[in-house]
Amino acid sequence: MPGVEIASITKEFAGGVTALDALDLSIEDGEFFALLGPSGCGKTTLLRTIAGLEPATSGSLHIGERDVTALPPGERNVAMVFQDYALYPHMTVRENIAYPLKVKKVARQQRNEEAEGAGGSLSLDALMDRRPGQLSGGQQQRVALARAIACRPDVFLFDEPLSNLDARLRLEARGFLKQLQHDLATTAVYVTHDQSEALALADRMAVMELGEIRQVGTPAALFHRPANLFVAGFIGSTPMNLITGVVGASGVAFAGGVLPVAETSAPHGADVVYGIRPEYVGLAGPGETLAGSVKVTENLGAQFLVTVELGEAQIRATVPEGEEPQIGDRVGVMPDARRALLYDAANGTLLA
Amino acid sequence: MKPFVHRVLFAGSASLVGAFFALPMLWLVFAPFDESPSLSAAVPRPPTLSNFGDLFDNPQVLRSLGNSLLLVGGVVGLVLIVGAPAAYVLSRIRFPGRNLFLYMLLLLSSVITGAAAIVPLYLLIFGLNLIDSFSGVTLALAGGMLPASIFILKDFTDSIPRSYEESARVFGASTFQALRDVVFPVVRPGLAVIAVWTAVQVWGNFLVPFILLRTPDKSPAAVLMYSFYTEGGQPNLRLISAFSLLYTVPILVLYIFVNRRYGFRFHGGIKR
Repeated sequence: MPGVEIASITKEFAGGVTALDALDLSIEDGEFFALLGPSGCGKTTLLRTIAGLEPATSGSLHIGERDVTALPPGERNVAMVFQDYALYPHMTVRENIAYPLKVKKVARQQRNEEAEGAGGSLSLDALMDRRPGQLSGGQQQRVALARAIACRPDVFLFDEPLSNLDARLRLEARGFLKQLQHDLATTAVYVTHDQSEALALADRMAVMELGEIRQVGTPAALFHRPANLFVAGFIGSTPMNLITGVVGASGVAFAGGVLPVAETSAPHGADVVYGIRPEYVGLAGPGETLAGSVKVTENLGAQFLVTVELGEAQIRATVPEGEEPQIGDRVGVMPDARRALLYDAANGTLLA
Repeated sequence: MKPFVHRVLFAGSASLVGAFFALPMLWLVFAPFDESPSLSAAVPRPPTLSNFGDLFDNPQVLRSLGNSLLLVGGVVGLVLIVGAPAAYVLSRIRFPGRNLFLYMLLLLSSVITGAAAIVPLYLLIFGLNLIDSFSGVTLALAGGMLPASIFILKDFTDSIPRSYEESARVFGASTFQALRDVVFPVVRPGLAVIAVWTAVQVWGNFLVPFILLRTPDKSPAAVLMYSFYTEGGQPNLRLISAFSLLYTVPILVLYIFVNRRYGFRFHGGIKR
């Protein structure tokens, strides 16, 4: 299975809006790659550029060994699953799945067999003669997947395919999608604005902002060592604590005290942003060096998210259920020094 | 008992209102079969077909219905062939002044075939040397129907997500294939609505063919009806009633056919 090689792709829309700014990205064979970012960051434009629906202003695009930069969408051998699934309402499920094969002039008999096969593998057997309007959202989503599979593409392109499903079904479809991609071992590019979806699905992922890629890596790498403040703030279902301070002898000094740091190359006196995930902040008795009063507690199910006021700053910590303090309690705060990250306050990049 | 009285009163008054509107229809059903019809609806005694016999003795009757069909076919064809691509382009391509253009269309749609424009329209068709020709009438009527048709068809096309065509293109379909396989079938009920609406408008249009055609042999049915007078100068109700009934049949057949074949509905998409 071929990968996708993107070399300094730029996309400018009429009117001078730069959606993609000289992007370089290498997506490996058989990889599940997620493009993550807020709306308007260019992730969908990048996906549409790979599909060929948007011609790139400059740069080159390879799928496997083939240079597809100038090819029309139909000759790139990619299959796209749209956010609204784009199922044709006047065709049955079978005709929908077989449509790409019809375009490729496969004989009716064979394309119906292929459609049955693809539909069967997604448990659509009983629905083959229905029309999309008679299907539930989850079933429509599976028809769209079956249609993509029936093309036997080199690359799957997913444009937020789960965002039209309700929350419970989305979790189910997510696991199913990951297993399916693993079984087919076809390269997949997956666009989403939901960081938990990207973390759950991707082998590797890229976080985009304003037409640029801010970090590429495995979900674990992006979660544990975000390369800049944007990624730090974007990834994680509970936002990372980001506290501005100055590097001192024993840690990072800020208005509410001193935050512990394991070791750092940052010079003394440097202005930094201290980042630590709430999961790595513990709470203890009020005798600790860092102590403050509890402002808010939020129930997350098995855990509580506790916001503690430290001078003018706030720090959030997660504690197991049953151990949560009461609002107004004085508690000690113990950030895990080994998990702390320091960012340059001027440009927001991670300091080693 | 009170709800019962209430319902009787309601049904009674609703029947009265219904009867008021049904009376002209009743006249249309009874009068053609009456030996000497008046302007009031009365059950003919005995019913007779002699009015139709007299009607068909006039060779212009069938010819005028043929002329009407010809005009309807020409105008509907022209409106669909020109209107559908125009609506598609207006729906899919953004260009400066598009909205202004659309509002102009809506404004013009009520002006062109109206009585106000009949003099310039006559001069235009005269200048084109198309007076007393079906092409002239067809062009004038199609010109009158097109603005509103384009406007309505554009709305139909707007409701087709672009992703339909885009996904077809990703699967390798050409622009033409995507239009033929995806856009056309989805927008077909919209085309059927426009076709029937145009047909009804053309079938019933009196003014434009009356002004633009000279030869009596070219008169469509709506114009011919105007010529049914007795020797005494009174409207000939025997012929008018029989012809009126005949005149409604093609439109009814068209409506039933299109509704059966295409259905005045729109394929439901997905929740969004």
